[in-house]
Amino acid sequence: MIAWLLAFALLGSCAAWPLSFLVGRRASGWLLALVPAALFVALLDFVPAIAAGRAITWRIAWAGSLGVDVALRLDGFSFLFALLITGIGALVVVYAGDYLSTESASSRARFFTLILLFMTAMLGAVLSDNLLVLFLFWEATSILSFLLIGFHADSPHARRAALMSLRVTAGGGLALLAAIILTGMSLGSYLLTDVIARADELSQSPWILPIVIGVLIGAFTKSAQFPFHFWLPNAMQAPTPASAYLHSATMVKLGIYLLARFEPVIGAVPRGRDTLVAFALATMLVAAFQALRAENFKTVLAYSTVASLGILVMLVGLDGPMATVAMVGFVLAHALYKATLFFCAGSVLHATGLSKLRAMGGLVRFLPVTAVAAALASLSMAGLPPFVGFISKEFLFEAQIQSSWNAVPTAVAVLVNAVLVAVAGVVTLRPFFLGRGKVKSVHHGETPGLLVGPVVLSLLGLLLSLEPDWITASVLRPAIMAVYGTDVVVELPSLRHGVTQTLVLSAVVVGIGALILRFWRPIHTHLRSRTVVDRYDTEHAYEFLTRIGRRAAAFTARAVQHRDLRRYLWVVVAACMTFVIWGHVASGRLPRLPATVTGWRIGPAAVALIGIGGAFAAVRTRTLVSTMVAVGLTGFVAALTFMMNGAPDLALTQFAVESLVVVLLTVVLLVLPLQAPSTRTRRERTVDAGLAGAFALVMLVVLVDMSTTSRPALVSDFFAANSLVSAFGRNVVNVILVDFRGFDTLGETTVIALASILAWSLLGPRTSHAKGAAVARGRTIFILVMTSRIFFWLLAGLSVLILLRGHNEIGGGFVGGLTAALAFALISLADGTDRARAMLRLHPLSLAGGGLLLSIASGLPGLFLHGDFLRHLWFELDVFGIPIKQGTTLLFDLGVYLVVLGAVLAFLFGLRREAGR
Amino acid sequence: MSVLYAVLAASLFGCALYMILSRNVVRLLLGLSMLASAVNLMVFLAGHLRSVQPPLIPDGADTLRDSADPVPQALILTAIVIGFALTVVLAALSLRAYRAQGTLNTDELRSAEHLGNPVAGGADGDR
Repeated sequence: MIAWLLAFALLGSCAAWPLSFLVGRRASGWLLALVPAALFVALLDFVPAIAAGRAITWRIAWAGSLGVDVALRLDGFSFLFALLITGIGALVVVYAGDYLSTESASSRARFFTLILLFMTAMLGAVLSDNLLVLFLFWEATSILSFLLIGFHADSPHARRAALMSLRVTAGGGLALLAAIILTGMSLGSYLLTDVIARADELSQSPWILPIVIGVLIGAFTKSAQFPFHFWLPNAMQAPTPASAYLHSATMVKLGIYLLARFEPVIGAVPRGRDTLVAFALATMLVAAFQALRAENFKTVLAYSTVASLGILVMLVGLDGPMATVAMVGFVLAHALYKATLFFCAGSVLHATGLSKLRAMGGLVRFLPVTAVAAALASLSMAGLPPFVGFISKEFLFEAQIQSSWNAVPTAVAVLVNAVLVAVAGVVTLRPFFLGRGKVKSVHHGETPGLLVGPVVLSLLGLLLSLEPDWITASVLRPAIMAVYGTDVVVELPSLRHGVTQTLVLSAVVVGIGALILRFWRPIHTHLRSRTVVDRYDTEHAYEFLTRIGRRAAAFTARAVQHRDLRRYLWVVVAACMTFVIWGHVASGRLPRLPATVTGWRIGPAAVALIGIGGAFAAVRTRTLVSTMVAVGLTGFVAALTFMMNGAPDLALTQFAVESLVVVLLTVVLLVLPLQAPSTRTRRERTVDAGLAGAFALVMLVVLVDMSTTSRPALVSDFFAANSLVSAFGRNVVNVILVDFRGFDTLGETTVIALASILAWSLLGPRTSHAKGAAVARGRTIFILVMTSRIFFWLLAGLSVLILLRGHNEIGGGFVGGLTAALAFALISLADGTDRARAMLRLHPLSLAGGGLLLSIASGLPGLFLHGDFLRHLWFELDVFGIPIKQGTTLLFDLGVYLVVLGAVLAFLFGLRREAGR
Repeated sequence: MSVLYAVLAASLFGCALYMILSRNVVRLLLGLSMLASAVNLMVFLAGHLRSVQPPLIPDGADTLRDSADPVPQALILTAIVIGFALTVVLAALSLRAYRAQGTLNTDELRSAEHLGNPVAGGADGDR
């Protein structure tokens, strides 16, 4: 059931692109918001089950051998996140529809697709029970965040910020992956539920330290904790709807989500909680300080978000049930007011084009509803009653008092919350209410799309506090139970309880906050002038590491990529030889020699000696023609060797190939300079000869050793036994090619077809072959012209015969195609390429393509009838009373025949055309 | 006999490598063509020269007995044709390179590198 939610989300994201084109500029946001809205409504269906403390699970096997199932689980904590993701997601999409109204249609479509894909990934991350699946969604959110921050890819700032966030968050993701794999090794399970249930067992694992460090790095990078916090303020380059959604309400809380899930494990490790609190306090202080220094509306909000994330991490680190209560409550409260403030900041940005807070003022005249929403959200952020923010702040102090920690976190929290109060005041009062007349006009007023989000969320911040029963019973309490493990009975704080400790702390916070707000301007300018602080920002460490990485890459590239082909070859060959020798030495035995020298035959031995002579002749000759002849000689020796050792199929193929190589290379050599004086110095030649000799020696040892082993012949025996019985063919080689290993052969046929396309496109212009043909004709030999027709038809007929008989006798598609190509080559030599092309009628590439299609088509009947591609079917025909048994193998082989013929002719015609140019 | 074939294949390997190390593109491609023959012979020898009978099932028999190993043959058959295609594509490339640059020397065929660094000014070059 919950899997359908994910499937629907993914489907909706894919539909976003076409839909946003189909419906107009105004309506697309409203229409696409239906996707998250529908998911939100569907989720509400689970309220009874969640409120009863149950979890909904779903599971399907994925990679069973690795023990990886796609396991989904919706419990109270996931439910809270899922509601935030879908609910705020709907408002963000509506808002984006109007916010991006000035963008082009395609970039709006891109934004909608990305934001809905992000929503899908985010939902997947909080629904996954399997850590590996969670990791996949986790990294998907990092990548989508990268794409959204770099949405305006023409801006260098946006590109830099996008890369920065990707490097930090995806890099942290790798640490998380290591932690996940170690967890799986320790527990034998990747299930999050197992991690929680067996936290004590996991804490005894020898890997526990790297596991906790990996989880912390993953969570700290994602949730922008010190020292990785710097990417979040930079991420404000993203369009504001994305900032509101990813960088305040949802994605940055994924790290908190993970920490909360791993809390039992971290708590079981000595100093685990202390580490969390220490980093959280550092984050809070740094962020509060920077929030006072920041100039831009969105940057101020970003630093206040970092501070809030620090508070959340601290709450995860503190022990006691109240810490969990406060954490869950703050996740909700923060999402509501911070998303509102981002919406309002976006509206201001959009309406005025200004980004600096000091330049704004008096906007309540132009954006009255936005101003009211911002005021409500700010009051909640400042933690004043009767807003949700008040309740969550009371819980925060309650948690600190109840925890076993000393007063340090409380003091820091008071200070940081005071700064947050001041920030809440600044971001509302300065742009909207103070400085009347600073802004004279705006580009446009408020539109419904820009208002729905801030109004709904800011009112929720009030309503949920006034009517807390439903949300407490159906969302918050189950969420607390899911994290803490047992049900926690919570009494909501209220002013009616009289003056409590927490209320005093709250009052102190508001008091200090009001003072900072009053003197914001001098504090701000004073802190801003202290540029020495910037020097110690961790962003510099990032820049430094990036520079080092770039330098190392440049150094490696210079060292490895030296642009000398010979040195590349040297390295490859020498490395291969080293591995072979190393393998042999490591095996710890001497190379074997054959025990008896048997089976000597005079003829084959003479042929082999000729081949050795040919190889050395090829090395010694100094003109390319004689080199070609010598190399051709070794090819013919190989063919004869095949012939004399029971491989007539190979011999035929090799003979045909060698003949064609001569025809084709001669065409090339007519153009190239034939004299090839040595290109190497004497020293280089000596060194190369040494390497080649060593290589030959190693190969000799390997080959002799190989020929002495007795060989298990299971595969060969299988083919020998089944070729006729199962595949109805007597030529076992051909049966292997077209039937048993048909798919393999199809791949190799495709390679040949692609090679022909490559050669055809490389070679020469289309127009000039008339001239080339004339040149060729002028040089032809009379007797060849007279006899070529006869030989053409003989060879063509022979090729068809070879093809047809291939399944039971020597032959097949490859040899047949080569023979047919020889027939055309003969015509081309005698009468010119034009004549050969005229006789072919078809384009050689059409021939190759058609052959490939035929080969593929021959596998389709088997696919449709038996579900196996290239499972060949057989049928018997009665032709004039003679029964003929035939199968789809013939079609397959005909396809191979056509591909080979077409490819060789493409080579031939292309080369002759280029040569005749 | 297999020892002599091993010597043949090893000589082909060595000579082919020596040619491949040349700076002349055509010698390089001829060397590769020879290397293909050497590899084919090696695969063939891996099948052990156990019989000179072709792997054809005779009339009246249902299974193959006492013949050369069909598996290496099936592997080599396609390898021969693909090696041929590779040789010809390389020949076409050499021809085009010679037409465009007037040389067959690999050290002088550098026009791609004169186009400059493909990375500079790309994804990360924003400062």
